[in-house]
Amino acid sequence: MDTTVYRPTDPAPAGPPAVRARSLRKTYGKGEAAVHALDGVDVDFERGHFTAIMGPSGSGKSTLMHLLAGLDTATSGHAFIGDTEVTGLNDNALTQLRRDRVGFVFQSFNLLPMFTAEQNITLPVELAGGKVDRAWLDTLVRTLGLEARLAHRPSELSGGQQQRVAIARALIAGPEVVFADEPTGNLDSRSGAEVLSFLRRSVRELGRTIIMVTHDPTAAAYADRVVLIADGRIAGDITDPTPESVLAGLDALRTLEAPGADVPQAVRA
Amino acid sequence: MLRLTLAQMRRSIGRLVAAGVAIVIGTAFVTATLIAGDVMTRTTNDSIAAQFASADLVVSAPADLTADDVDALRSVPGVDAVDAVQFTYLDLSHGSKRVFQLGVPAPSDPRFQALEVVEGSMPTATGQVALPEAVAERLGVGIGDAVTSSRNVWDGSAPDGGAYEEVRDELSVVGTTADPYGAYAQMGGAVVVTAEDVAAWEAAQSMPDEPARTYSAAMVGLAPGTDLETVRAALVAASPDEAKAVTPDEHAQEQARKMTGDQDVFTYVILGFAAVALLVAALVITNTFQVLVAQRTRTLALLRAVGANRSQLARSVLTEATILGVVSSVGGILLGALLTQVALLVARGADLGVPIPATIAVTPVVVLVPLLVGTVVTVVASFAPARAATRVAPLEALRPADAPSLARGGGRARLVVASLLTVAGLAVLGGGIWLGTTGNPEIGLLAGVAGGALSFVGVLVGAVFWLPGVVSLVGRLLAGTGSTARLATANTLRNPRRTTATSTALLIGVTLVAMMSTGAASARTSLDTALDEQYPVDVLVATDLYGSSGEAVPGEAVRAVSGSEGVARVVELVAAEATLPDGTQLTVHGVDPEQAREVVRTPESLAPLAEGTLMLSEQEAESWGIADGERLELTGPDGATLDVVARTGAVGWSWLLATDDARALDPGAVTSRLWVGLDESADPTQAVPAIQDAIVDVDVPVEVAGAAVERALMESVIDTILGVIVGLLAVAVVIALIGVANTLSLSVIERRRESATLRAIGLSRAQLRWMLAIEGMLIAGVGAVLGIALGVLYGWAGAATALSIMGDVSLAVPWRDVALVLVVALVAGLVASVVPGRTAARTSPVAALAVD
Repeated sequence: MDTTVYRPTDPAPAGPPAVRARSLRKTYGKGEAAVHALDGVDVDFERGHFTAIMGPSGSGKSTLMHLLAGLDTATSGHAFIGDTEVTGLNDNALTQLRRDRVGFVFQSFNLLPMFTAEQNITLPVELAGGKVDRAWLDTLVRTLGLEARLAHRPSELSGGQQQRVAIARALIAGPEVVFADEPTGNLDSRSGAEVLSFLRRSVRELGRTIIMVTHDPTAAAYADRVVLIADGRIAGDITDPTPESVLAGLDALRTLEAPGADVPQAVRA
Repeated sequence: MLRLTLAQMRRSIGRLVAAGVAIVIGTAFVTATLIAGDVMTRTTNDSIAAQFASADLVVSAPADLTADDVDALRSVPGVDAVDAVQFTYLDLSHGSKRVFQLGVPAPSDPRFQALEVVEGSMPTATGQVALPEAVAERLGVGIGDAVTSSRNVWDGSAPDGGAYEEVRDELSVVGTTADPYGAYAQMGGAVVVTAEDVAAWEAAQSMPDEPARTYSAAMVGLAPGTDLETVRAALVAASPDEAKAVTPDEHAQEQARKMTGDQDVFTYVILGFAAVALLVAALVITNTFQVLVAQRTRTLALLRAVGANRSQLARSVLTEATILGVVSSVGGILLGALLTQVALLVARGADLGVPIPATIAVTPVVVLVPLLVGTVVTVVASFAPARAATRVAPLEALRPADAPSLARGGGRARLVVASLLTVAGLAVLGGGIWLGTTGNPEIGLLAGVAGGALSFVGVLVGAVFWLPGVVSLVGRLLAGTGSTARLATANTLRNPRRTTATSTALLIGVTLVAMMSTGAASARTSLDTALDEQYPVDVLVATDLYGSSGEAVPGEAVRAVSGSEGVARVVELVAAEATLPDGTQLTVHGVDPEQAREVVRTPESLAPLAEGTLMLSEQEAESWGIADGERLELTGPDGATLDVVARTGAVGWSWLLATDDARALDPGAVTSRLWVGLDESADPTQAVPAIQDAIVDVDVPVEVAGAAVERALMESVIDTILGVIVGLLAVAVVIALIGVANTLSLSVIERRRESATLRAIGLSRAQLRWMLAIEGMLIAGVGAVLGIALGVLYGWAGAATALSIMGDVSLAVPWRDVALVLVVALVAGLVASVVPGRTAARTSPVAALAVD
């Protein structure tokens, strides 16, 4: 079932989708014991949009992101970033792809402790042997409010500041898409909200494409669109989400998937 | 708690094995040294015992035995045969070849025969001789040939109450011998002559009032069926006071005990090197345990939270160290025993001429000492990490596991101690050099060693303050080569203590290697200068040395020498008779100035030599009262006169003129000497005998003085000693390099998520491996460079202190060795990064997403 819905009110999605999955499958184990982490996923992610992938634990949302970003290999099916098929690239080509066209934001920030904020931000460009675009760096730093923090090391920054540095690092090379994995998972709600609004600003003001994996309905509500996933399949799609609509979507998902048995769980949640 | 310790050890087995290897090597070193010392003692024992062959008893007395004492032994009932232990020295020659060899009398009983006859027989009649095979070969003689024996005989009828006179006997070679048990191996074999000859020669040699010959011991053979103890008692009774009758083995042990003081010193010196290796191993262990404790912070905190107290945690770490120490030491003992056993087999196969035991002897000392030392070193090395374990707060169990943060350097107390040690040590070292150069080399050397050791400890203790700075400096130079190098530098600096400890471990070994190498290079250069003065030419061929005939060297001999293998050039010297103004007659030599300057080692010393000059050494000039630049008139045998200007600076003891001047002075002057220069590449130990062989057939007696051989011998002694020392120190360097590999793999484990992050943001596998390679080379390279710098300085200090007795000290840098050490360190750093690099490169970028 293809649940992808295009919003008629979209600010003109330019060209093909930024990221696509076609019949994407990931199976662990064999025969009887086989577990289908992803069971044939077809989904498109639009350019210039902030999309959240949501689902309960073990639903396959993280696996989907790993496959889309070329961090893990698919059992079958295809994943594309732009026109490039990610599935089937060798390690060097994948490294090249991550350098030039993909950015990552991690739950634990993953900054290098021995480098300053600025050195952390510019690292991807330097690894690629390129030259840092100062104007773009200034724009990022201003947008993310890091002007006064550039010379600090990660240990001297708050969690929210660290994650903002991580966002700047993900954007510095001007990637086609940024994958964010539970970016607010290690932050208090205030810092989390701050980071999420920065992510949204990156999309709105800087024209970036962001795909965020989260299990937090409030976080998902910052996105332009929420893709719901359950049991390795796309289970729903919410445009212009609010925390309430996301929660409702999740609840619907639970009752739909396991009527009766799961209702008390939903109540507990 | 023990169960927990074991469980933790199982989880960290890889780390522990890597750390254990350091201890294994260290204890193997100690074990091998102890076993080798034991083998040497036994070899000495066996070789002494071998001289007594199958004698039943050996009788000896503190005041030695007289001939009468020996005779008295013969009449003891049950005694079958008695021979006194007796040595003499023979000066044997054949043509121009000459050997100076130990001689023993032919035994009266086959039981006393330590040598085996290879060909022919033992001498039975006077004037016969049996030669060791090697000696026969050196002299170029076989059975039936004659050799000339030269000896000095006391001639009481000579004027002035008697004098020594040289007597030559022709001895007939009747047999060749082998020494299968190495009885005389340490003396280069023994020539056998009849007991009558030995007695006659001894008698002829001694002055009339010289006390009668005594013997250190006598060998006794028993009649079949006699009781050993009965005869033993009877022998003692028949001998002078305090005499002893013991079996050859007992006698050998006693003798060996007197002789092996030197060997013990040797063993202690090698154990000193083993101590260095163990010190380095201790550093590696400390490092490993520190990381283990850091890795287990959460577990330790959890244990604290559920009720473990501090001492339990410390005990757990110490228990772990004890188990590791015992297991590694046992491994080291086995390895050391195996290595020495293999070395024995190889040595036996190589036929060194010394009988070598087939198996090593495993004594309690050989097992217990390394076991104790290895375990204690490991446990002591884990004290600091154990203390760190007690400082883990229970609260840390609740904190999220962060990437290891930047550790701080050392504290203030350390800085003060390090500075004090360094400054005081350098001051003492400086004092030592001053004492050494002002003529007190012994005290100076003592002070120098103490000061050097003190300052080195200071440098090591303080390394944490300055070594990271050096790494950062080198890193900044490398940073230009790209972001990978910058990452590597930053990684190396993030834990300055660990980097310092790893680098210091290498620095110790490298410093000592560089110091020895520099000291040897300086000694060599200084020695070369001294040798050049003493031995101006490689080989001297002469008819007029030591007052010999002074006949002309025949042209065929000159041609033979020129054509001999390894000879580069030959310069002829003519001998002219000259009379000084004061009437003194002496021989001066004429040589072509150009050719002379080509063949001598120090051509500058002959610079003034030209027609119209007489050259003589400064010492000669001084003792003759001749001033540099003084005009002299020489008179020839026919009355011809020659005006010359005396110049000092000549080489050796000869007085030199230009050839034409010498001939003008003495028209009858003939070539009496040849100065021979060898090829740079020629081996003097082969070239000089080759020259001797080339002139064997010349009728005129010609002497060949091979200064080049002595030079080569001295150089090879220095090289051998240096080689052995560097080899011993190399063990410490190897352990330190294991430490580098250890540190790198620990870093890889600690930085697993970080590596994954880097991979996720675009670091390629190759870049990741290269980053670790740079880290490895940076740690090893900085340790090596600093070690070399320190070693060269210490080496110079040592050379200046110790060698100043020999004259001017030339400070040299052994560039080749230095470059070799650096290359080895860098390559090893690179190699050390291979396995950790592979592990790191295998890390999937997905790991970056993991929360813990």
